[in-house]
Amino acid sequence: MSPIIEITDGNKAFGSFKALQDINLSIAQGEIVTLLGPSGCGKTTLMRIFAGFESLTSGSLKIDGKDVSNLPPEKRPVNMVFQRYALFPHLDVFENVAYGLKVKGIGKDEVRERVRNMLRIVQMDHLQQRFITELSGGQCQRVALARALVNGPKVLLLDEPLAALDLKIRQHMLTEMKRIHAETGATFIYVTHDQDEAMILSDRVVLIDRGQIVQVDTPQDMYNRPNCLFSAKFLGETNILHGTIVEDASGKSAFRSAEGSFHYQPTNQIASKSAAIMSVRPEAISLFAENPARDNAIPATVTDVLFTGSRSFYHLVSDGGEALRAQVQNTPGLNRPNVGDRVHVCWPHDGSVVLPASPSH
Amino acid sequence: MVSSQKTGGFLAAPAVTYMVIFFVAPSLLLFSYSFWTASSFRIVPDFVLTNYLSSIQSLLFLKVTLNALLIGLVTATVSVLLSLPIAYYLTYVTRSKLIFYLILITWFSSYLVRIYAWRTLLGTNGLLNAALLQLGIISTPIEAFLFSPFAVGVTLVHIYLPFAVLMVISAMSEIKKELIEASRDLGTSPIGAFMRVVAPNAAQGLIGAFMLTFILAASDYVTPQMVGGSSGQTTGLLIADQFRKTGNWPLGAAQAFIMFALSILIYLIITALARASGLTRSRKSTTILTQDK
Repeated sequence: MSPIIEITDGNKAFGSFKALQDINLSIAQGEIVTLLGPSGCGKTTLMRIFAGFESLTSGSLKIDGKDVSNLPPEKRPVNMVFQRYALFPHLDVFENVAYGLKVKGIGKDEVRERVRNMLRIVQMDHLQQRFITELSGGQCQRVALARALVNGPKVLLLDEPLAALDLKIRQHMLTEMKRIHAETGATFIYVTHDQDEAMILSDRVVLIDRGQIVQVDTPQDMYNRPNCLFSAKFLGETNILHGTIVEDASGKSAFRSAEGSFHYQPTNQIASKSAAIMSVRPEAISLFAENPARDNAIPATVTDVLFTGSRSFYHLVSDGGEALRAQVQNTPGLNRPNVGDRVHVCWPHDGSVVLPASPSH
Repeated sequence: MVSSQKTGGFLAAPAVTYMVIFFVAPSLLLFSYSFWTASSFRIVPDFVLTNYLSSIQSLLFLKVTLNALLIGLVTATVSVLLSLPIAYYLTYVTRSKLIFYLILITWFSSYLVRIYAWRTLLGTNGLLNAALLQLGIISTPIEAFLFSPFAVGVTLVHIYLPFAVLMVISAMSEIKKELIEASRDLGTSPIGAFMRVVAPNAAQGLIGAFMLTFILAASDYVTPQMVGGSSGQTTGLLIADQFRKTGNWPLGAAQAFIMFALSILIYLIITALARASGLTRSRKSTTILTQDK
């Protein structure tokens, strides 16, 4: 199936500032794709290019197979949910949702039918006559979703739609968003700087840094197989060790740092003797009171323990002086180390990812 | 809450006191004068409607009042229409304040100096005639530029446009740019976005700008007279004459209150028009109208 959105060699500059560089991305019908990155990385600019509020400096953008470079926002088959909702304060809930249909000159009865149906989907049908000023943040969010989705867009663009909500409502709205996506079948492109939102919601995550796409993957793959230091650090927490790739006596590749030599499962080819980094997720680490006599075990001292109920977070310093973090499940009856204790930090071969030290990005 | 109400009252007290002493009280006094009678430069307490009746039966009064209203309406309409694109540009397009300060700077020169400037520009030896002569468009200077309704309109718009611009800017600055983007996203053209989103949300400010320029222009009797000649005769001039020359204060007061009533009438007509066109509406009636949805 041809992609619903396809951007080829996209570049966007504001004066001398390169907001986006060499963007190549295609998004399939029905996907939920998040554009994830730190603030100022260009993710919102990319979304505004899809919507038609900005245009590419060079490159091409196709929506549903058609070049839309010269189409103004009102002529594109996309709709947007704005960060602060941008609901019309002079209209009530029903009229806000009906706006797009009325502008297109759709008959009164059909407008009423479609608006009602959409308000039912977002569970706002009981508040049709409310004015926007009389709604809570979560309710505004639902109206904003309905106002965009009622037009049957090929692509729904969502610009940090949950940023203005508090944590509890945000988590609830994430589930709601998934349900609404399933019910409407539209393609969702979702901009966020929140890695949790991205991982919970997306089929694929597009990680952007300083105007360039760093990695495009499913949340699982991006978390487990980051392709560079930025990916490894942006999604979740991780420990980074610096070292070089060496070959041991048996010809196997190993990662050598000041802490010692570590074995890993190579996922990408890195030349021997070249500088590399090793990323070890805190949850891959186990702590042992005695030396477990295994591979990838180094002595360390506990400097802090953060107890969060089901899990504890350990801050450690290795004997080589490296600060490490470990996340340990609090199984009942298990002896847990305390601050100041000497422990052995250990992780399995497949518990780490080794990346080139000087990544292309 | 009580304490904040007290603070509010305390803060408003100086201004309220000032307005009561120097505006409300004199106005009420003037209102009572309008029912008195005048005889040989003395005003006599009375209760007659003669001042009002003779005013509205006077052909001269009706003529100059109509003239004043027309001047006011034309100035207000032109000023608001001209301020819309300026305000839009200053609110949504540029971050530069240059144009804004250029508008304000007109207030740094005296009102009378600017009127005389227009007399110079529009006179038979003025810039406009000189330019047209140079270009060969006319062969003899046109006298009708000055002392014409055209001169009155041009000068008044020049003087009162900044007021309209400021009010329209403040109305538009309340409307976030995302609202315009949202309406574009939902299928509206740029002009449609202005009509459907900017105008209704700025309506109160637009009406305010219209009324302010209308009242200022309709009651201005110096400018019209100085650049309009006989076409610049307005009610303000007539009223001023009753106080300064003929000494008939009661008649002047009655005519002032007729103008006051007419201004309120214009305001009511404008708001009714705005409501009829769907530009504004009262929230209560909307709720009732949409209850059967």
